[in-house]
Amino acid sequence: MNRAGIISRWQRRTTALFRRAALERDMAEEMRLHIAMEAEELARTRGLSNDESLRQARIAFGGAERFREEGRDARGTRWLDDLAGDARYAVRTLLRAPGFAIAAALTLGLGIGATTALFSVVHAALLEPLPFGDPAHTAVVWSGSYENAGSWMSYDEYELLTYEPHVFDAVGVYDIETKSVTGAGDPERVHAAQLSQKTLQVLGVAPMLGRDFLPEEDVPGANDVALIGYSFWQRHFGGDPSAVGKRIEVAGKQKVVIGVMPASFRMPLDYDERGATELLTPLAATDSEYEAIPGPAVAPGGGSHGLYAVAHLAPGVTIAQANREMDRVTRRLTDEGVYTGPTRFTMTVVPLREQISGSLRPALLILLGAVALVLVIACANVAGLLFVRGERRRRETSLRAVLGAARPRLARQFLTEGIVIAMVGGALGMFVAWMGVEATRAWAPRSLGLVSGVSLNLGVLAFALVTTIGTVLLFALAPTLAATRVSATETLKDGGRGATTGRARLRARQLMVIGEIALSVVLIVGGGLMIRTVQRIMSIDPGFRSEGVLTMELSVPASRYADDARIAGFFDELRHRVEGLPGVQRAGAARLLPLAARIGNWGLRIPGYTPPPGENAPGDWQIVTPGYFEAMGLHLVAGRLFEDRDRSGGAVVFVISQRMADKYFAGRDPIGANMQLTNDSAQIGTVIGVVRDVEHNGLTSATDPTFYAVHSQFHQSAQFTPRTMNLVVRTAGDPLALVRPVSEQVHALDPEIPIAHVRTMDDIVRSSIARQRFSMLLLGAFGGLALILAVVGIYGVVAQLVAARRQEFGVRAALGATPTALVRMSLFDGIQQTAVGLAIGTIAALLLTRLMQGMLYGVSPTDPVTFAVALLVTGAVAMAASYLPARRAGRVDPASALGAG
Amino acid sequence: MSDRADLLQGTLDLLILKAILPAPLHGWGISKRIRELSYDVLQVNQGSLYPALYRLEDRGLVRSSWGISPEGRRAKFYTLNAAGKKKFAEEKANWRLFTNAVEQILHAT
Repeated sequence: MNRAGIISRWQRRTTALFRRAALERDMAEEMRLHIAMEAEELARTRGLSNDESLRQARIAFGGAERFREEGRDARGTRWLDDLAGDARYAVRTLLRAPGFAIAAALTLGLGIGATTALFSVVHAALLEPLPFGDPAHTAVVWSGSYENAGSWMSYDEYELLTYEPHVFDAVGVYDIETKSVTGAGDPERVHAAQLSQKTLQVLGVAPMLGRDFLPEEDVPGANDVALIGYSFWQRHFGGDPSAVGKRIEVAGKQKVVIGVMPASFRMPLDYDERGATELLTPLAATDSEYEAIPGPAVAPGGGSHGLYAVAHLAPGVTIAQANREMDRVTRRLTDEGVYTGPTRFTMTVVPLREQISGSLRPALLILLGAVALVLVIACANVAGLLFVRGERRRRETSLRAVLGAARPRLARQFLTEGIVIAMVGGALGMFVAWMGVEATRAWAPRSLGLVSGVSLNLGVLAFALVTTIGTVLLFALAPTLAATRVSATETLKDGGRGATTGRARLRARQLMVIGEIALSVVLIVGGGLMIRTVQRIMSIDPGFRSEGVLTMELSVPASRYADDARIAGFFDELRHRVEGLPGVQRAGAARLLPLAARIGNWGLRIPGYTPPPGENAPGDWQIVTPGYFEAMGLHLVAGRLFEDRDRSGGAVVFVISQRMADKYFAGRDPIGANMQLTNDSAQIGTVIGVVRDVEHNGLTSATDPTFYAVHSQFHQSAQFTPRTMNLVVRTAGDPLALVRPVSEQVHALDPEIPIAHVRTMDDIVRSSIARQRFSMLLLGAFGGLALILAVVGIYGVVAQLVAARRQEFGVRAALGATPTALVRMSLFDGIQQTAVGLAIGTIAALLLTRLMQGMLYGVSPTDPVTFAVALLVTGAVAMAASYLPARRAGRVDPASALGAG
Repeated sequence: MSDRADLLQGTLDLLILKAILPAPLHGWGISKRIRELSYDVLQVNQGSLYPALYRLEDRGLVRSSWGISPEGRRAKFYTLNAAGKKKFAEEKANWRLFTNAVEQILHAT
């Protein structure tokens, strides 16, 4: 047909659509005319009566319904006509059975949403490309003893890596610090790193503007260049390329900006609470600075450990080979006597991907498996629901077939119903997926690294939509075809007894429901164990009282606070001013906040305590001002706390932790005992008090002996005074209400001091167990999800059984069975499946929760209370879900069940 | 029913076109005329006739309009237009070709 023909044809069709009602009338009239004429003809030629001729004319004409449909078909408008009609009809019938519609849409929505959200998380954590040149062959190298495998490197060990093992082709080393930047807008504390010259090459990253460091810039004395991060560039230079070449003041020293890093730039360990590193300067290290021996030799004990090392594997070398080589090297060093003492020294090569999200990998993969299962279950559930529905509507289908509706036409109508469900479910699914991703962003702790950067994965969303909707359409159609294939008169006559009961299919669905219940048990047990873990952790006494405490990090620059007295003077003056604020009970400052930053140890000399050979007496070193103990709410066990009279120039005093008292002062009174840092010029001090242990490095980590030194006196022990301290303020009211007045006091003292990390201690405690809380939420949510799906599944199966046994129930009712007895009979099926599901679920949970051991605290993976509650909840919910459709059995009317099906 | 319609698909169009070639007719008239012209051999089922008419109308080969039948009833009349006449000529030629070919096969020895 030519083009004009096609156009005019479509014009006619469009007209036909708009004039639908008129055309329908035309058709009806034409049909009436035809029958009338035929009847007249019959009456004339065969001499029949009027009634008889009309009757025969009608019979000759055939089904009116069919005539209409074929007429519409021929006009080419039928599909549109039908679609609108079917959609209206589908919505109407779905609204008449809201339980079915809600269950189907909910199942689809949760299945699609959960799959998409979780896969998006997995994608973000495990599949998203890392912003490094060759992440698969780049690794972080850790140094440590067997009890603390992932610890800092020493400069000597780094030097060794550049000489001895031939498994790397490039090695870099760096140190991290928070630094104050002034002279470019507002004073600010930024995360900074000092890098050995090759570090960026090892990581395979380069500045987007300007250049990398030159070897001659990475030597002592030449340290006056800096690379800045993308967002720092935006904040301070408004993204102006002329920033390269400008000067900034870092910790009071002038630096020239030589380049800007790309927005995606991160150091390998930036994927935690810390956030992105924004300032890079050369390490410009000297061996003497790090107590290191130049060249491949390693100083006894390895030297001072405080650096991070990164390495790129030589071509063809695997991580496993690199680790074997590290083993060989450290064993040799130990044999040569470099490392003494009882701890075995190790070095570990950890690939970047594992370093960044390795700890999440097993949990995520397990959840991904669960979620794939959830998708399968969702599909099976919806298929089952549609099947039950098709079964229930067999009579309607048959009736319409008899009235002359064509089979494809009927199938199409059921298909439309499927499409309506799929559309609602799909929309719900997209919403759930979006919610899930947003919730993950909001709830996932930053320490979960890449997870907090999750975004909705559209590919997966499409996959989930296609899978589930495909299932809906397939199963919307399958039962319909089965139903319409049945001879119409047969179905109407005897209710099609046993025509499509499909024992095998039912068995498969029963197995599926058993699986769903088992999965629910496993996930709910998992979630329950995490809830118990979080409860246990929250009930641990951290050794301080977190409520009502505000903290902020302050750092005084070397340029204006050159000597120890000035540094200490600033913090002493500040805490006195802050204590004068209304609502403030006590104020103090500390070098490190518990649960916010890891604390390291310092060697001690304690008269009366003899350490094992080759070791000293290490103590975690905490530096505080008077007022800190009270502000943080530490508990005094013996002696006294620091007071204002304990200050610079006076007698050096220490407060020690209970554990230190127990370990180094066993069997004697520590109060009044002497103690000294293992530095050459350290003054001997006196222990004046003992406080209860603080869980500094994590609520569930072991606590080491800890000592507290007075900030203003610390130079008498170690010849320096920390410039960066955390102000700690206790109030009876809302700590956040103090942010403004306290900041005003800081800036009244010195307007150039940047304020960073304003947090309450409650926040710090919460985020310290963020991983456990996140696991709890994730498992809890999936447990709930699995339970909902199991409910839908068991509802569907019991409903199907009841529908299939209608006639049987009718006979039983006719023979005198009471409704209660019938309900009990059909409930029995549900009970059977629930029991089997619970049993399998319990066994699976007993096997699987062992994998969670590492995530649990204070609760056994086979905790009987958790198991009991999970079984009770799942069992009760499953029973309720079977009871609803089972009630229908009791309402079967003997007459209708027997007579009409 | 539908089997026979399928069988007649091509020829039915030709017969309809031929029936309304001389003058417009309504649906029942077309079926009667075909019956008469074939001496009662061909009975056009209405289940096939009307869809065929609507199809021909959709393809732009016939036009329909309401009028009064010779029997004095309001009826829908189908008229052959120019495209329909052309189509009829084509279909007729095709049919001749086809029947001749079948005849030759049947007469072959």
